[in-house]
Amino acid sequence: MTTAQILVTLGSIVLAALLALLMIPVLVWLERRVCGLIQDRPGPNRTNVFGFRLGGVVQSFADVVKLVTKEEYIPGHIRYGRWIFLLAPMITFASALLAFMVIPFADTVQVDGAALRIQGLPVSYGILWYLAIGSVGILGMVFGGWLSHNKYSLLGALRAAAQMISYELALGLGVISMILTYDTIDFNAMVQWQSGTFWGIIPAWGLFIQPFAAVIITVALFVETNRAPFSVAEGESEIVAGFFTEYTAMKFAMYFMGEYVAMNTAGAVIVTMFLGGYQLPWIGTGTLLEHFRPVAGVLLLLVPAVMALFILWMRRNNRVRPTLSTDGGRGRETRILTGVLIGTTLLIEAVLLWLLLEPAGSIGASVAVPLLQIVIFVVKLMLVNLFFILIRWTLPRFRYDQVQVLGWRYLLPAALANLFVTSILVAGVGS
Amino acid sequence: MIEMLETSLFALLTLGVLTGGLMILLARRPATHAMGFFIVLLCVAGLFALLHQSFLFFAQVLVSVGGVVIVTLIMILTVNLRETDLPPEPHKTRWLIGAAVVIAPLSLLLYRTLTTLGDAFPPVSDAFGGTRSLGTLLFHDGVLPLEILSVLLLTAMVGAIIIGKKEQSYDRES
Repeated sequence: MTTAQILVTLGSIVLAALLALLMIPVLVWLERRVCGLIQDRPGPNRTNVFGFRLGGVVQSFADVVKLVTKEEYIPGHIRYGRWIFLLAPMITFASALLAFMVIPFADTVQVDGAALRIQGLPVSYGILWYLAIGSVGILGMVFGGWLSHNKYSLLGALRAAAQMISYELALGLGVISMILTYDTIDFNAMVQWQSGTFWGIIPAWGLFIQPFAAVIITVALFVETNRAPFSVAEGESEIVAGFFTEYTAMKFAMYFMGEYVAMNTAGAVIVTMFLGGYQLPWIGTGTLLEHFRPVAGVLLLLVPAVMALFILWMRRNNRVRPTLSTDGGRGRETRILTGVLIGTTLLIEAVLLWLLLEPAGSIGASVAVPLLQIVIFVVKLMLVNLFFILIRWTLPRFRYDQVQVLGWRYLLPAALANLFVTSILVAGVGS
Repeated sequence: MIEMLETSLFALLTLGVLTGGLMILLARRPATHAMGFFIVLLCVAGLFALLHQSFLFFAQVLVSVGGVVIVTLIMILTVNLRETDLPPEPHKTRWLIGAAVVIAPLSLLLYRTLTTLGDAFPPVSDAFGGTRSLGTLLFHDGVLPLEILSVLLLTAMVGAIIIGKKEQSYDRES
């Protein structure tokens, strides 16, 4: 391998790890702020480092410090199996993290004659990997709930396991119908398949081809992540906190972060399978590479406009009530952030200008296109994560029997019917 | 370099399989048994991955680790078995020693089989065990036996459910 190839490979591994891990504080913050907005209150916005609040993101880092320095408490009644009790959260967290590693963030890049995948793990069987590794995470929950020697924990663990098994069937059947449609198990090939259009207007996204499968898989993925409205495994109104009742400090945080990583992974799978992955609608990678100049021109105009809107919004909102005499450093933060944002914009503009003016066929576009695709992917991922959060704070939790009835009576037959119709259509079109 | 890495990985995974197996045999608590079962299945999956058998690896992780272990756990947790429920085992040590003496000559057979079996099979092509070649084999070349087998399994499953399902009082009333 040449140096450039090694750099690209390492870069995609680091990118995957960062996207999974750095997303956790952002998602925790987003969850609390969105929850606050829905409940008509501001949410966390006081914690600061030298007056920097960043809209409350700093609160997440304060939480991390609190959880790390908190007392690790193992209940005295856990006499045997302590090592399994300690190991269980790690299984959940590790499997959630590993499952994220097969998501493509950009199209394959040609470096020194070799096509390199921009994935943490450059494998061609992404969806199988996700299903296989994702199903291991539940073991951590069951072991944790069981070894807590607590009836509530045990109930929570059993609920989690039973719910997961019921919905994995619907998820598997939905995924099979998508595999039939795309004729591949490779995430990257799925995204490439979605780059075309129907009748020149509708982008060929999975959402528009298979709306039923999209609904089925989204519901099943909500269950896989154990989030509301399917959070019966931790249902605090009935079983205290479910399978992690006896966990404290970092061990609890492991489950907590595992949930967010799993949500992020589920969102990435939805983006990749149904929302065109890293692709812009109507514009495929080939077109983007060939005609990068007009795209760069559009970006040249779009980036300052978006930044200006954001700065205006920040200047209007990052302040306290006029009756208060001190603003706690908010004015200074706004000024410094405005400067940083304007500087970033100028830098991006300079790079885009250079891309516009450089001679055709040089390396510029082939570096800029993957970066652009990564940005598009992250934007889509954040929107889907926002959807997850909105659903959690909008819908009440299902009762446990309702969850099972929904899974077996409605979702499974719907997934089967969808699979039959898909197979007939695929066979009819193919022959 | 790569060969040494593969050898050490193989040693590690084999050690995992052995440890897990011993845990299943020797541990006193069901939780440790379950953990040993989990470790064994995971290490076997790792061995498949070491042989570049991607499909077997996924099948192992998806079905055995993600499915069988969970179902086993649910079974252990819901069936509350006590030591008094088990049948009595008088002269346990004597039985164990006797069985070991009877089985000992057979281990020579096992040794011979294991040492000569590797040469009996032809070397496989690169595509062997891949998802595509396996799919072609199952759903193109051998589709009729596969379908017959699946009907057989379905029948067995329905039979097991009917036999296993006790008639409840609310079944008779309605």
